[in-house]
Amino acid sequence: MLAFAVAVVVFAYANVGFGLNGKLPSGLVEYGLAFAAIIAVAHLAVRRFAPWADPLMLPLAALLNGLGIVMIYRLQESGRNGNPGNQISTISSSTTTSQVLYSAVGVAAFVCVLVFIRDVKVLQRYTYTLGAIGLILIALPAVPGMPNSTVPGTGAKIQIGIGGFTLQPEQFGELALAVFFAGYLVTKRDVLSLAGRRFLGIDLPRARDLGPVLIAWGASLLVLVFESDIGTSALFFGLFVAMMYIATQRTSWLLIGVLLFVFGAYVASKLFSHVGVRFAVWLHPWAGNTPTHNGYQTVQGLEGLGFGGIFGQGLGHGQPFWTPLVQSDFIMTAFGEELGLTGLMAMLLIFGLLVQRGLRASIAVRDPFAKLLGGGLSFAIALQVFIIVGGVTNLIPLTGITTPFLSQGGSSLIAVWALVALLMRISDTARRPAPQPIQDEGMTQVVRAG
Amino acid sequence: MNMNRALFRLSLAVLLMFVLLLLNVNYVQAFQSTSLANRPGNARTFDAQFQYQRGSIVAAGTGGPTTIAESVPTKASTSGNTIYQRHYPDGPMYAAITGYDSIYGATGVESAYSKDLEGTAPGLAVHNLISLLTGKAKQGASVNLTVSPAAQKAAYQALQQEGRQAGVVALNPRTGAILAMDSYPSYNPNLLTTFDGTKLNKVDKQLLTQPSQPLLNRAINQTYPPGSSFKIITGAAGFSTGKLASPQTTVSAPQPLRLPNGNFLNNDGDETCFGGQPQVIQAFLLSCNTAFANIGMKVGGPALQSQANKFGWNDANLTIPMQVSPSVIPKETDPSFTAMGSIGQFDDQVTPLQEALDAAAIANHGTLMKPYLLQSVLAPDLTTIASTTPSVLSQAVTPQVASDMQSMMVQVTQNTAGTAYQTAGPPAVGSLVIAGKTGTAENTVSGAGLDDAVFTCFAPANNPQIAVGVIVKGGGFGADAAAPIAVKIIEAYLGVH
Repeated sequence: MLAFAVAVVVFAYANVGFGLNGKLPSGLVEYGLAFAAIIAVAHLAVRRFAPWADPLMLPLAALLNGLGIVMIYRLQESGRNGNPGNQISTISSSTTTSQVLYSAVGVAAFVCVLVFIRDVKVLQRYTYTLGAIGLILIALPAVPGMPNSTVPGTGAKIQIGIGGFTLQPEQFGELALAVFFAGYLVTKRDVLSLAGRRFLGIDLPRARDLGPVLIAWGASLLVLVFESDIGTSALFFGLFVAMMYIATQRTSWLLIGVLLFVFGAYVASKLFSHVGVRFAVWLHPWAGNTPTHNGYQTVQGLEGLGFGGIFGQGLGHGQPFWTPLVQSDFIMTAFGEELGLTGLMAMLLIFGLLVQRGLRASIAVRDPFAKLLGGGLSFAIALQVFIIVGGVTNLIPLTGITTPFLSQGGSSLIAVWALVALLMRISDTARRPAPQPIQDEGMTQVVRAG
Repeated sequence: MNMNRALFRLSLAVLLMFVLLLLNVNYVQAFQSTSLANRPGNARTFDAQFQYQRGSIVAAGTGGPTTIAESVPTKASTSGNTIYQRHYPDGPMYAAITGYDSIYGATGVESAYSKDLEGTAPGLAVHNLISLLTGKAKQGASVNLTVSPAAQKAAYQALQQEGRQAGVVALNPRTGAILAMDSYPSYNPNLLTTFDGTKLNKVDKQLLTQPSQPLLNRAINQTYPPGSSFKIITGAAGFSTGKLASPQTTVSAPQPLRLPNGNFLNNDGDETCFGGQPQVIQAFLLSCNTAFANIGMKVGGPALQSQANKFGWNDANLTIPMQVSPSVIPKETDPSFTAMGSIGQFDDQVTPLQEALDAAAIANHGTLMKPYLLQSVLAPDLTTIASTTPSVLSQAVTPQVASDMQSMMVQVTQNTAGTAYQTAGPPAVGSLVIAGKTGTAENTVSGAGLDDAVFTCFAPANNPQIAVGVIVKGGGFGADAAAPIAVKIIEAYLGVH
């Protein structure tokens, strides 16, 4: 399975070279070997530290990561080295190399999680610590005076600069917060699921239990306001509501959450012009098609998808370079353009499979904390894919967040590898055969008092 | 485990999210694909319209055939596909005819016959189907024009040499086929075939802001006062209405002529005209204003306009197939203004094409043929899918009147006193007989000091094969600036020198 994933990636990479200029691309051997080595390390770590983990997760993650590298290479080569197309100014000629390095760091993070977290239950001990860390990580870019806190061309203040590198701390904050939510909800779920009044067949929670959900709502709105990052705000809040629902099984929490978010988004769209603009573009993407128009990126993405049609232009044959920042949020439109509807659906199904394996592991695992964490993390991937792919295909208003595994950039890739490691750890715990009983239960004497 | 029920429901929600995404990408990529491709400004499908070979434009008349527009294969910088770029081998010489085909639009023949050149005309449907079935690349049809490379080259060089803003049209009076059409100053259409929109905008803006308006086709889209060349219409109206019996009829030509409104109208240079009682033919060859002002007043404004209309004036619907700006003579009821209009002053406005049509109608026994550029459209397999059959636009005058007018126009060049004797008569062209009329129009608009020079003619007088209309803005005396241009075109076309 894993070898197959690597083979698909190498084949796709070779395809890019043929598509661009009819030759095998330079660096085929180097990149191919590097990628195979990275994945081999991940595989060995799984064999050693999580032998019972779901065998499908790593190949799925590896395939997505590899395809992401291939597409970034394809975009990097556009207009460079005599290849057709326009150069993409936001990609440098060393972007692919960096992305391979990030993959290596990501897999290193993956291995570290597997090595140091032998059971996710240990994380429960650090519930509040991780909650605080998560909040700090998210709030960091909004702190005045932080260097490089604006992503060029987007206005979103989600990154900080550290010695020449930029980091998007929220990507890691998401993980920390998921752990915090799981730890908090596991202890409070009984209280939270206590029914208040019944209204229209729905058990409304008690008013005083609304506190935590309001805090999460407020925090996500703060992200929205101070960092102009609608996508992450929606992602955090959605993650929280979903975990709340898993913990309490109360539909009312879902309804309250959705209503609060819709209300918040509506008010934000009226109060903050950049949010309102997203709605306007969603409803009328073709109001203008000049490079300076707000809908230009969406329009270019849609036209790219349309250009791809059902079977795609073929790797290297499309013109994804027209879409601004196509290597990051809009990378799925580049896949749709070159691999077509069939390719795009296949990639969505790979994401779907990965999420499904995660959810399955969560259902199978016995420990409620692990169950909650696994469900939350799996849902986070699904929600992230939904928000960004839905955004670039104009199903929902576009909010810029990265596409897991695919988008160019290190923070997102490293965080998602760590996330997959947690899911695999949960899966390993769930599928691990129960230890042989030391004592035969049947022989135990039950002594009744009196 | 209660949480598992929630997890299961969450899985269903996740499933729903992915189903929504899948449905939406199906909608965008399968159903919307075509409408997205046809969106204006779609950069990706931009190349596609240049991936077929647009048909050539060929000047197929005397001295040809010469290809004047063709599509040459080149490599697209963005997609790497082979695309075809328009090329005009003799760009500026034929620009007034071909126009240009740019990424933002086309003009001239490129625009008028774009469907044939693109290969989308209905007549090409069967051919396209066969190409599709046999897997051959789609190719446009070539458009053969009636233009004579010999005449066009002479026209272009003559206007270059003259060097003032001018327009000229030469046509075959028997058929209406346009033999040459040029406008000075011209432009190089090759500058407008770039695929680079920014560069194109720059070139376009530069051409549009030049005061000399190189993109303006003066031959058909700019009007000038006709001056004395209008005396052809006035004379024809006199004969047609019976106010003049024959070219030998004597008319009154005082110097000056007192108009009903009290103003005075003078002959050119205030000269007397055959003692004030010339024959019509004498007044015509000397171009006496007062004689023709009198004729015009006798004929009357409405009849004068009606005669002009039969020559094609005031026709806002004329196309060749490019739209021709109408030449204007208003309906005057005030005799004083009619007098001015009769000698091509006041509100009269004419295009060089109309000047050529005036001469052509006389040359073709009074029958005005509809002017046209298209000889035939040839499919890529060289089958003819369209061609022009000459058609009559109107019967301008009777053959008798045409014959009378012809004899008068011959005198303009053959009589030693004729206004064009030196420039279009025996001293200039030897035994070739050109029938013509000069015009020197006071141009109140230009303020350039010099009058607009007009010459309209046909040749050979006894067997007309070519009719020419020339107007040179600020050219001065019509016989000096305009006639030599017409003579050069006629000589080149007839092959005499």
